Amino acid sequence: MTGAAVVEAAGLVVGPGVGPAVLEGIALRVHHGEIAAIIGPSGVGKTTLLRALIGAVPPGMSVLTGRLRVCGHDVLAASPERLRALRRERVGFVGQDPARRLNPRMRVRQLLGEMAVDAGPDGPRRLLSELSLPGTDELLRRRPGQLSGGQQRRVALARALARRPALLLLDEPSAGLDTALRAELAELLRSLARRHGVAIVMACHDRELVDRIADQVLPLGAPTMSRPVEQPLPERTERTEPGPPVLLGHGLSAWFGRHPEHPVLSDVDLRLAAGSASAVVGPSGAGKSTLGRVVVGLHASASGTLELDGVRLHPRAERRGREQRRRVQLVPQDPLGSLNPRRTVRASLTRPLVLHDRCPAEQRPGRVIELLAAVGLAEELADHYPDALSGGQRQRVAIARALGAEPDVLVCDEVTSALDPENAEAIMLLLARLRRERGLALIVISHDLRLVAAHTEQVLALQHGRALAAGPTTEVLAALDDAGGTALTDSHDPVGRAIRPAGLPPRASARKDG
Amino acid sequence: MAGGRRFWWGLVPAALLMVGTVLGPLLAPNPIDEPVTVPYATPSAAAPLGGDQLGRDVLSRLLAGGAELLLTAAAVALVVTALSALLGAVAVLRPLVGRLIERLADVLILLPPVLGILLIVLSWPDGGRLALCCAAVLLALPYAVRVVAASAAPIASAGFVEAAVAGGERLGRLVWWEVLPNLRAVLVTLLGLRFVAAVYIVATAAFLQVGPQPPAANWALMIRENAAGILLNPWAVIAPSLAIGLLAVGVNNTVEALAPGRGPVRLARL
Repeated sequence: MTGAAVVEAAGLVVGPGVGPAVLEGIALRVHHGEIAAIIGPSGVGKTTLLRALIGAVPPGMSVLTGRLRVCGHDVLAASPERLRALRRERVGFVGQDPARRLNPRMRVRQLLGEMAVDAGPDGPRRLLSELSLPGTDELLRRRPGQLSGGQQRRVALARALARRPALLLLDEPSAGLDTALRAELAELLRSLARRHGVAIVMACHDRELVDRIADQVLPLGAPTMSRPVEQPLPERTERTEPGPPVLLGHGLSAWFGRHPEHPVLSDVDLRLAAGSASAVVGPSGAGKSTLGRVVVGLHASASGTLELDGVRLHPRAERRGREQRRRVQLVPQDPLGSLNPRRTVRASLTRPLVLHDRCPAEQRPGRVIELLAAVGLAEELADHYPDALSGGQRQRVAIARALGAEPDVLVCDEVTSALDPENAEAIMLLLARLRRERGLALIVISHDLRLVAAHTEQVLALQHGRALAAGPTTEVLAALDDAGGTALTDSHDPVGRAIRPAGLPPRASARKDG
Repeated sequence: MAGGRRFWWGLVPAALLMVGTVLGPLLAPNPIDEPVTVPYATPSAAAPLGGDQLGRDVLSRLLAGGAELLLTAAAVALVVTALSALLGAVAVLRPLVGRLIERLADVLILLPPVLGILLIVLSWPDGGRLALCCAAVLLALPYAVRVVAASAAPIASAGFVEAAVAGGERLGRLVWWEVLPNLRAVLVTLLGLRFVAAVYIVATAAFLQVGPQPPAANWALMIRENAAGILLNPWAVIAPSLAIGLLAVGVNNTVEALAPGRGPVRLARL
């Protein structure tokens, strides 16, 4: 490689003023056209390092020593104005949770247009087509709340690319994307690097993506405040005859606001036996998350019947009995928003124990530690606020909170998307053990077909909100494979028409109409 | 700890005013209802800020006249903030109730404040200060509820609130434990603004002579009483005006110092 490196870091130490440093002795050198991957288990400081590169370490931390040059600027010595100019003009940053970084009140066209160097009316269109989203007026008119998780991620990426940056920083770029989209993303990143000479630094635990495109890999060391999940026996659940269904859904349909004529979910049946695991798969925007929300009673605009052990469930959680609500728990998709920022981990985990009277008061502290250990988190973490946790740690706390209620049905919406493969596997094994021991029935909403194949027995494939196929995992996945695998990807239907008709209010206000 | 020092300095003006208004009546050198000099006398040794329209000591009346204004305004601001926090949070968690609250607020906002004060206070002649407080609360509430509801809306759709709803939490718990703690910055700011607004309303009422009646010493009343002699002894008008202004600004500074540095939920970390 010729010329100066885009990123040049040496001996970087990042941490709070007191206590152990989070990152120590980091050295990184990335040239134009190179892709560097930061890997490591969750909580190890991947995001912190990415943020340190643009001089924006999280509050309470600082770069203690080291040298750091980005695009020829000394980041550690630069004035705030220089830093801002650097971030604005030379660096594109896509965070872990892009949905929350997109202004919910702006339309896709404005979101892209305000950043674009290519200011013409076709600029946003071209950006979208680079990311294999169609640049139709219909899509450009939408607001972030009307896009699926995968689409939001791509719009955020398009926004970062709009400036034609010299350096692109990506935090978990492939989380929440299905296999085909991951492949496309890999292709896109590679062409950005090779053709346009963009230097890319990404924090990533998707080993496949890393192996495929990274020119160099920076492994970060032992995680702080995480420890290996106690490994349950890795025995596969034996296929038993399905018992009586614990949860039975019939003709489930859902829509947003007052538009039942544009369903996001239509006429879907669901049958969960105690101790079974069913996966819900499908392209982004197919209605997977909506199905999960209907099951726990958070999506009020829904029809169809849901029965828990033969007792009809009210479509709205508020109208269900407390015991019914305890028995059906949700682990939400968005790891950043799923914990109350003003409550410590301990408070968040103690609450379900108190609410549902799961154990006597004197045993609660011990139970909290047990729950943390079950998801592979250390006891010290209990007194932290969510701010101090990484995305993966928050996700695991959210899982522990749901498990604290000792549910009979657990809806896991992309629960492993922010976890490294080892932790993801460990969480799935933990859930498998609970299935065996307690007869927990599991609904796994996921893009990760390998995980689905390894840990579930039944699959429900959705497309445009309709059931495309349902049945035993091996058969359905094989059948979908035969169909060319296209049924599970967005590329087939990139607009995701099933999501919502254009012009509807974004999700927050749509929900109010219930 | 530069931040810490800034914090403490922010409290100084309000603390001085609090102490001044509470201890003021004890410090007053002269009785507030007896003439000590000629009407509208210029400042002298006997009366450092001169005399008012009846020759009473302006300084003594100034020291005595703050407590009522301060306490009334503080009570109104606290009640308005507490009520609006509850109503606003309930409004976003229960959309039907929310729409009802919103319509009621629309109607109340239509009522011009001065008309509202006169209407309530005159139709309840024995109400005294309580009637004035009720009027001030009622007039301020719709605005405050709107602000709280708007800030609470994104929190109500956050994952942790949904998880709590799905997990079986009752409404009260959702409001108290999940939503309101994340609105701390908004509520503290609202408290400061509502205090200033309450000072205006209480002062306006005194100026219109529907609240406290002479010969009580009251800053707003002093401005009105002594306006006629502003050319003879300007201090009789300027001093209470400055006091009201300082009180409003001082309390707002304090509130700013107390408000947490960041917004309700950190929506973006960059």
